[in-house]
Amino acid sequence: MAKTDTIVIGSGLAGLTAAIVSAQKGQNVKLLTYGSGTLSLNSGVIDVLGYDQQHKYVASPRQGIQNLPDNHPYRKIGLQAIADSVSFFLKLTEEQGFPYGGDLDSQLPVPTAVGTLKPTCLAPESLNGSHLVDSHKIVIVTVKGLKDFYGNIIEDNLRKVAALKDKTYELIEFDSGLTGGRDITTLDVARYLDTDAGLAALVALLKPVAQNGVSFVLPQILGTKGDTCHKSLKAQLGSAQVVETTCLPPSVNGLRLQNLLKGAFKQLGGEIVEDCRVLRGIMEGAKCVGVVTQAAARKKSYYATKFILATGGFYSGGLAMREFEKPQETIFGFPVYFVPGEENWSNAELFSDKPQGFALTGIMTDENLRPVDGSGQVVADNVYIVGRNLGGYDFCFEHSGNGVALASAYKAGNM
Amino acid sequence: MRKARVVVIGGGATGVGILRDLSMRGVDALLVEKCDLVNGASSRYHGLLHSGGRYAVKDQEAAKECIIENQILRKIGKSCVEPTGGMFVRLDIDDPEYETAWVKGCADSGIEAKQISLDEAFAMEPLLSRHAVSAYLVPDAAIDGFRMSWQNVESAKRYGGRCLTYREAVGVLTENGKVTGVTLRNNITGDEETVECEMLVNAAGGWAGKVAKLAGLDVGVQPDKGTLLAFNQRLTSHVVNRLHKSSDGDIFVPHGSITILGTSSMSIPDPEDTSTSREEVENLLAIGEKTFEHLRDCRMLRSFAGSRPLYIPPGGEVGRSASRGFAIVDHKNDGLDGMMTIVGGKFTTYRLMAEKIVDQICAKFKVTTPCRTAEEPLVPEVAPEKKQAARQYFPAYGTDLAATRLGPERFDKVVERLEKDPESRELVCECENVTLAEVEEMAAEFSSFQINDIRRRTRIGMGTCQGNFCALRSAGVFAKYGKTPGAKDTLGRMKEFLQGRWKGIRPVLVGRTLRETEMTRALYELSFHVNGGEA
Repeated sequence: MAKTDTIVIGSGLAGLTAAIVSAQKGQNVKLLTYGSGTLSLNSGVIDVLGYDQQHKYVASPRQGIQNLPDNHPYRKIGLQAIADSVSFFLKLTEEQGFPYGGDLDSQLPVPTAVGTLKPTCLAPESLNGSHLVDSHKIVIVTVKGLKDFYGNIIEDNLRKVAALKDKTYELIEFDSGLTGGRDITTLDVARYLDTDAGLAALVALLKPVAQNGVSFVLPQILGTKGDTCHKSLKAQLGSAQVVETTCLPPSVNGLRLQNLLKGAFKQLGGEIVEDCRVLRGIMEGAKCVGVVTQAAARKKSYYATKFILATGGFYSGGLAMREFEKPQETIFGFPVYFVPGEENWSNAELFSDKPQGFALTGIMTDENLRPVDGSGQVVADNVYIVGRNLGGYDFCFEHSGNGVALASAYKAGNM
Repeated sequence: MRKARVVVIGGGATGVGILRDLSMRGVDALLVEKCDLVNGASSRYHGLLHSGGRYAVKDQEAAKECIIENQILRKIGKSCVEPTGGMFVRLDIDDPEYETAWVKGCADSGIEAKQISLDEAFAMEPLLSRHAVSAYLVPDAAIDGFRMSWQNVESAKRYGGRCLTYREAVGVLTENGKVTGVTLRNNITGDEETVECEMLVNAAGGWAGKVAKLAGLDVGVQPDKGTLLAFNQRLTSHVVNRLHKSSDGDIFVPHGSITILGTSSMSIPDPEDTSTSREEVENLLAIGEKTFEHLRDCRMLRSFAGSRPLYIPPGGEVGRSASRGFAIVDHKNDGLDGMMTIVGGKFTTYRLMAEKIVDQICAKFKVTTPCRTAEEPLVPEVAPEKKQAARQYFPAYGTDLAATRLGPERFDKVVERLEKDPESRELVCECENVTLAEVEEMAAEFSSFQINDIRRRTRIGMGTCQGNFCALRSAGVFAKYGKTPGAKDTLGRMKEFLQGRWKGIRPVLVGRTLRETEMTRALYELSFHVNGGEA
């Protein structure tokens, strides 16, 4: 059996990225995963930093990062590694045939399923909402029987955006023919649009309206295979623009990105062990030599020289807190930072202009992303923490989740 | 000007019970409520239809009332009562002498308490602590306070009764020591109006003292806060009570797909205070996990609190030792003719309380029609053949849920919508199986001013996802049917809806609740970007 250099635990954006970066260096990499990460839930665009700590819009993520508090993961990762991770990601997606656009000095506006525009740093062309501003007419394409994408709500809210206020709006409905059974999702429609018949049906509907200066706004339904569907559709619609929105899960674009990353990792000879719950680390002093896993009915240990922990936060199970003020990292039992006191744990308002205390819960690290205790002492020399199980940032509030995942994974992979 | 012979103030269980009873006896009555119905203690409680077992040792009079009313409500309120049965369980740490006293108390009060073996108890309630030492079955049940109250109003309407929500009594009009009317403020528009009446019934629960003050009267009501926890799944199939001297956190009531654990007892100055704290949650968990040891591994949906309106006669006791009995005060004795206050009591005996005060009102009005509220069902049942025919439009077990929520007339209307418009078969709320047609039907109702009003009628947003997936959908429907100026502000309504849920989630932000919250925020702040800001 080949010797494993690096074991990555977790297959979300952070885990897959760390695995790819490690494998690109010629390492033998195993990725152990129990679930499937949160790419199927998030929109698969890379928010690096949208809002500062007072919830002011950040026009340039590069600038914004430099004003973050010292204990923010970005400050540990460092600007250089963040910039490099962005270049890495743009290059990777380009090579894999599903290119993302954007840069660290500006934001792209991505329309959402409720008609707001969300700032993001990197996005594929199909989610780039800049085109809406340049068009004179916006045609919102709803899908018969598809929930959570309501044309009238989207129009009302797009009209509230200064730059889109005076556009002409039109709503049209696409009948995918998939109705009548169970409720349909964006993923069902996307799979249909992967087929020639599906694409032809959509073209037939949109073509008569597709004039110069028209932008179509659709839910995330343009195929599951990278930008193939978006490209073919655009080619058949002349100069009209076609823009997808972010949607409630399942996130088709998140799945596109997941497929891309898994494919890239496998091309590099990486191995993904699925249905594999990591129970605990095997430590020799401050060095981890292996992990014990539970797969089906038996326990199995994996050994390596380097470990990257990408198990996520409360949602994914990397962090847990069964009792108040007793947060836990669920595999190694690393020290977890949290904000004490009921009054600081959460804000009275769910949505407000300050971060939520509980969201800052996570593992603190040194500049090399190794876990530290309360006094700053590294507690594991060869384990690196990436993604949402890092502490000290509220990814929802500041719009930074995938950015931290990408940058920390890139850095950890290169350590 | 609006006129009514009797105006009832307060849309809790007592108020709606009085409205129904008066209407059925042919007395023209109007109920006014400052919020939506059951905004106070009648929804912010266990949803427990007491067998009386809880009171068998301390207050046998209350226990006897409970068992009688329990049997009546099972009969008249089939669609709001889930006959789960109840279990009393003594743990090894509990006083065995209390068990002896309780068995006798039940026998004396006419409550059938049947002892079962521990094996039987564990078979019925597999999660029950193995520290249980004895178990009894009693006829407790679960009851839906929202539904029961609306069905009382529906029933009253059939007899000419009227009901106005979001109307707050702000003044009592008198002439020569006699009530002549009441001034109401519309809490949606701010407009005021006067309603002429002969009799004013103060059934404002925790607010009864405040209402009495409008007429310059003094009524001793101590709001007593009870905090409860709602869990994401049915932990029990029976109502499970700890067999010991009543304390906090010792009753579990299964409701639909959730379980409610409660409750505490704390005197508070303001009945509006429905805040809950981590300390109260921790206290409930610490006691609750004695009965169900794995409690902390279950996801809490939310915590909530209501205030019991405990009646404190001058010099009386407060808190848990205060009486759960009720009192009727005729203010004629205080020099004001035409005003009565009813206070205290408990949900289980609401019908009896209504009967007693309506007996007194009718005696004054020389109305001799007898009370029939114990015989006639609140709403007729949906005919089985209609349910059968409608099954094709609902998800697997959704037909019965909809039938019990809607009652026959509305059920017909919703089914008609479902037949005509196949797209209205879409489920707005997957957790509670609520179709778009039902939400639309309720949104168009006279009483639906806010999304939360629709929520209380349909149960959207009250299940497992706590609004994660239905906030957007219901905001969409509301934009179409809403009557308030803000109805079209979908982002605002969505945030308001989620904020309403958030209030109850904050104190339980631990364990699996954190997990759900992380998702809620990611969906709404990131995927929908509802928190504003330039892009």
